[in-house]
Amino acid sequence: MSEKNREGKRTARERMLADRAADEARGRKKKKLIIGGVALAVIAAAVVTGVVVQDQRSKPETPTAAPAGTIGDKNLVIPVGSDNSPAVLTVYEDPRCPACGTFEREFSSTISQLEDAGKIYTNYHIVSFIDRAVPGKGSRYGANALACAQDAGHFRDYHDVLYRNQPDETSDAFGDKATLISLGKQVNGLDTPAFEACVNNSTYSGWVSAVQQDFDKSSYKSTPTVLLNGQPIYPKYNNEEITPANLVKWVDAANQGKTLGTPGTHGQSPAPTSTASESNNPSPKAG
Amino acid sequence: MAGPVTEWVGTAARLSLAVVWGWAGLAKIADPAEAAQAVRAYEILPEALVKPVGHGLPFLELALALLLVVGLGTRLVAALSAGLLLAFIAGIASAWARGISIDCGCFGGGGAVDSSQTEYLQEILRDTGFLLLAGWLLRWPRTKFSVDGWLAR
Repeated sequence: MSEKNREGKRTARERMLADRAADEARGRKKKKLIIGGVALAVIAAAVVTGVVVQDQRSKPETPTAAPAGTIGDKNLVIPVGSDNSPAVLTVYEDPRCPACGTFEREFSSTISQLEDAGKIYTNYHIVSFIDRAVPGKGSRYGANALACAQDAGHFRDYHDVLYRNQPDETSDAFGDKATLISLGKQVNGLDTPAFEACVNNSTYSGWVSAVQQDFDKSSYKSTPTVLLNGQPIYPKYNNEEITPANLVKWVDAANQGKTLGTPGTHGQSPAPTSTASESNNPSPKAG
Repeated sequence: MAGPVTEWVGTAARLSLAVVWGWAGLAKIADPAEAAQAVRAYEILPEALVKPVGHGLPFLELALALLLVVGLGTRLVAALSAGLLLAFIAGIASAWARGISIDCGCFGGGGAVDSSQTEYLQEILRDTGFLLLAGWLLRWPRTKFSVDGWLAR
């Protein structure tokens, strides 16, 4: 073979090797693009599915079933007292919130008396966010049971019974439906198959979730949140601590010169005669 | 180039990060309203974006977990993980700097908490640890038992 010929052969082989390397590099790049594309497609499919499914699952922002007598544009509020009373107390409470229990045991008899005297009516927002922070179901089940009691016309009494029997925050006693039903027996007229079924079926779970989502969007972050004519009065108002006596004083001041509402007991038990605080009686037992 | 030791370390990092994303995603799925509220509590996103983010984020995390478990597109997934973790750290730092009191909602929960119950420093350090795992995989994406490795053969 001549020198020239050998040289020509080498360059041809070199060229071939270089072409093959370039082909392989292109192939690797293509493979990488496909792998990346598949990974991104998996992610996109998951996110789109998630948004659609979760939107569907959180739908009950406007509940289909609300307890009888609830008010507000989505029927999320439980009113107690005569609606022609001059002052309105707004209360946000969670059945499992310890500070709500303390508040209720100190103030419930005073609030009932103010309601029955036609001085105030109270708008209750029964929220259920403690279940998120302290795992359990007691907030949601308790709120549903309160909705059932409202439906039966016994909200105020059952609400007071629940808070008198509130367990420690870490105990999820209200997460047991039998406990909630058995506490209902302490309220005259609530020991009915309808109430029992309502608690057991979580009839108002959509409503409970809607009330909570409404609270989520509000500017209030803790419970109890207590407002008198829209002004926060818990734990202090005008640099004064809230006490039963101060609450009465503030209500009377706000009502000065106004006509009181229709007095009465509004289908519920009359208010107790003393404003003394009630004792707690935790760890409720079923049966 | 990456030796076998690097590949083994990478495998551990990949599977650990998969567990982190899987756990974080699953914890946020049960209650969509809670997940949305955890996002809303940061007071960063406009209300119109609160739900899409709160509802979509857990599924993004689960998709990342799935891809990490099988080891598909590891470098890309590591880059996305690092980006997401940086966004989380920025969000927590921002909440801390603005003096609002929230739980990060990293693994479920979330929303406003008492100012004595915030754990911003721990949350940021934890996410930084996860960021190191993602960083390792970004630098050395080749790992054992991965679809990537199998496809490259």
